[in-house]
Amino acid sequence: MIRALFAAALAAFAVAVAAGNSETEALLEGKMPDDPAKPLVQGKCLLCHSADYLTQQRLTAAQWEKTVDKMRKFGTPANDEEAKLMTAYLARYWTQDLPPPRPVRAPAPRK
Amino acid sequence: MSLDRRRFLAGAAAAACWVQVPRFARAKGAKAKGKDYFLRATERPLNYESVRSTFTTRITPTERFYLRNHFDLPSVDVKSWRLKLHGLVEKPLSLSLADLERMPQVTVEAVLQCAGNGRAFFAPHVPGVQWRYGAMGSAEWTGVRFKELLALAGLKEGAAFVQLQGAEKPVMSSTPQFIRAIPLAKAQHEDTLLALRMNGKPLADTRGKPLRLVPPGWVGDDWVRALVDIEVRADEPKAFYYDPAYRFPTTPGAPGAAIPADQMKPMTKVNVKSIVGSISPGDVLPPGRHELVGVAFSGEAGIEKVELSFDGGKSWTQAQLDGPSTKYGFRLFRHPWQAEPGSWQVACRATDSAGATQPDVPVWNPAGYLNNAVDRVTVEVRS
Repeated sequence: MIRALFAAALAAFAVAVAAGNSETEALLEGKMPDDPAKPLVQGKCLLCHSADYLTQQRLTAAQWEKTVDKMRKFGTPANDEEAKLMTAYLARYWTQDLPPPRPVRAPAPRK
Repeated sequence: MSLDRRRFLAGAAAAACWVQVPRFARAKGAKAKGKDYFLRATERPLNYESVRSTFTTRITPTERFYLRNHFDLPSVDVKSWRLKLHGLVEKPLSLSLADLERMPQVTVEAVLQCAGNGRAFFAPHVPGVQWRYGAMGSAEWTGVRFKELLALAGLKEGAAFVQLQGAEKPVMSSTPQFIRAIPLAKAQHEDTLLALRMNGKPLADTRGKPLRLVPPGWVGDDWVRALVDIEVRADEPKAFYYDPAYRFPTTPGAPGAAIPADQMKPMTKVNVKSIVGSISPGDVLPPGRHELVGVAFSGEAGIEKVELSFDGGKSWTQAQLDGPSTKYGFRLFRHPWQAEPGSWQVACRATDSAGATQPDVPVWNPAGYLNNAVDRVTVEVRS
């Protein structure tokens, strides 16, 4: 019984780590995790720039807050509540500790 | 053991196995493959850095030269385009492209480097485009001496700064426009150009068509593109991209430390830097002789020497400088390396004619500018 519990715990741990790994992998590939704030970020931040501009950042919560503030001053149409949700989302995933994004090799862009 | 339990353990083992074999994290993109000459930093606006193998020639071919934009590319109609020069001048000017093409044309070889080149390597990280090493290049710029245009307009007393604005516009009207200024002395420098051509060809849309400022030796933030408006002023502009943006601390603090605004000044000269272009991190090379090739440059100083280290910086050996010296451009260097099997970290550092050299770690600053730390590339040598 104890062995069974241990195995179950081990399995749960492994699955959690695997899930964590795949989440990190997705972040390093520049994907944005699903979250209630994701459509907000897509709808507001991406008016002026592509998603890779934010998915390559590795910032503290304070740096994200400052960045969102700056973008609102620049014209991002977000109210206080939306800005709070967006900041929390960005600060949750794109942290100082997240490894660098995978380089994306590309030809010269077509204008 | 029950079947369920067996399945459970098998699943756990499989999951554990999966965990132990993550996808190989080696960075792709070190060398150009086909015409993939860039690492894409951001798709919109266009921010693309050159791959490392670009840095093996004195002149960077235009098709391999990095792209840096704050906003979407402007649409410029060269037939109706005019450059306005006004402010503290006797005779304001409105010039067509043909007017500028009729003036004497001068060519200057100079490095254009983004202020944030190397930003990705600051610890702690700072916000901004996460450039690695490739937001730089050296080209032949051809155009009109800025001082000739200023003389044509005639300067009024009190003229001290020249404000520059291009045709590019942000999406939102509330986003600051890209406005810069340089001191009059730099604008009047013999080598400062209003360039119409890059590497012999008229400037393309991505290069600042039809006219851009070339203040050789100075950081990229001053190289304003698609110029439409020049204002001679007595004072510095109050414009976001001049103040507070694009500033460097007069006295850098500890990594992560905030710097008071009055201690932040505009950048001017590019600092001394070098990079090995013929090898890339993670390369596997056969044992034997390899020629290491790279480029070195320094603002307005020119390169005195480039040294290489293969033992973590304990000892340094001088590389051979190739070609004539250049005040503002890339100086090529070469070194024949007899590579023995093993893992090798190749480091390079340049020293300029003023005696300035590269630090071991970048000088941390809040916006991640001017990273000129010693370049290090680790490669494997094996049969």
